[in-house]
Amino acid sequence: MHTTTISDAAQPRLAKGVRLQNDSATGKSVLLFPEGIIELNETAHEILARCDGRTLKEIVRVLAEEYDSDVAALAADVRETLADLHQRKLIELT
Amino acid sequence: MIAPRPYALLAEITYRCPLHCPYCSNPVAVLSGDLEGGAPVTPRDTGSQELAPPYKAELTTHEWKRVIHEAAALGVLQIGFSGGEPLARRDLAELVRAAREAKLYTNLITSGIGLDDDRVRALRDANLDSVQLSFQSNDADLADEIAGAIAHQRKLDAAAKIRAAGIPLSLNFVIHRRNIDRLPKMIELSETLGAERVELANVQFYGWAFLNRAALLPTREQVVRAREIAIAAKERLADKIDIFYVLPDYYETRPKPCLNGWGQRYLTVNPIGDVLPCPTASSAIPDLRFENVRERALDWIWRESESFNCFRGTEWMPEPCRSCPQKEIDFGGCRCQAALLTGNAANTDPVCTLSPNRARVDAVLRDLNSASDHGRHWTYRINPTVTSLDRSIVTASVRE
Repeated sequence: MHTTTISDAAQPRLAKGVRLQNDSATGKSVLLFPEGIIELNETAHEILARCDGRTLKEIVRVLAEEYDSDVAALAADVRETLADLHQRKLIELT
Repeated sequence: MIAPRPYALLAEITYRCPLHCPYCSNPVAVLSGDLEGGAPVTPRDTGSQELAPPYKAELTTHEWKRVIHEAAALGVLQIGFSGGEPLARRDLAELVRAAREAKLYTNLITSGIGLDDDRVRALRDANLDSVQLSFQSNDADLADEIAGAIAHQRKLDAAAKIRAAGIPLSLNFVIHRRNIDRLPKMIELSETLGAERVELANVQFYGWAFLNRAALLPTREQVVRAREIAIAAKERLADKIDIFYVLPDYYETRPKPCLNGWGQRYLTVNPIGDVLPCPTASSAIPDLRFENVRERALDWIWRESESFNCFRGTEWMPEPCRSCPQKEIDFGGCRCQAALLTGNAANTDPVCTLSPNRARVDAVLRDLNSASDHGRHWTYRINPTVTSLDRSIVTASVRE
């Protein structure tokens, strides 16, 4: 498998056929896709909820503001999470 | 035993199908009588297994909607509309819409036959999430021979319509001895059709496939080669297509973790409303009694019924499973396979080399792999339109 380094200008979006949804049985956030379900942790949920056409840089900026955290550290987390999801073909990068 | 929450419902909305594939997982002793149209329901006679089962009318649109809502309330997140051929029901799009309204992820598992422009549009408008389209081969001659119907070109047309409507497309190639050598061509076709996801799934031997096993089971040589081809294609196409290769488990040494455990994540509702822990259980395990959504709430059936509890967890396990470190990994394998090959669903799956019954699987493999001329004859699946199929006779010829 190829690991992608995601650039600041990349616009992550849920891949075709993938849905982000609240699981009412647990209150947690899940990704639904053909033949699969992934339960998301809080971080992944907060990132994916903002993958709506914004660039990676913008997503990091917004999250850093909301959570009052360090941009560089946050950027690394966001990149890692998105790279993992990209490898599983759950997000697309444009 | 406390029941976990289920994740996925397989809705087998009809057993009717325009194809006659000899590996169909539908019950061999199908069930006859009134089909779509909701004739009066007679309570099931649970006393006798020898009588042809009363194939009551298929669940009505209203009943399916109730099942969908009950499933969502139980925690189900995904629904697969299957069959038979689900397009044979005119209310399919309406059911998809109901499932979407219940926030379920909706997948249509179809042969593609009957998918015209109007129906694609209706399904898209109902917000269908994805389609899994089956193929019998890469080429029309063999594909149509396997399907027992002129179908291949119509499937290609269906794929194009699904793509044009922008609905995510998975392909499912059902692999067996007659077509396994064409794997590279099937992968090529998947690329051409622009699928997001491809399953290259070897036939598993239940239902009609069990009846036709001698004609369908691939040789060891074929299986080894196919695996190499599938792995190479997965690597080569990693950026374009998700490829899944499913081995025929007779060639494995440990059983598959069937269903991730009985009554753990999945449930199936068949066309007449029987609720099954596994879609093949009704034909493979004839002495199990299944509850019906017309008589019981889905929640009760999932949590309380004997059919869901009898193999739930690890308490039911015999040796060698009971003391096996793998028991929470493979859950003793497949109950249907144990029933079909050993006559007792509570046995260890005989695919496991630790099973005292593994010799039965080995004997099947030895016969096949030492034969110079492999049988080609198979029995095509028949549709549930026959009214007096004698179940006892069919069962007798299936069991060896």
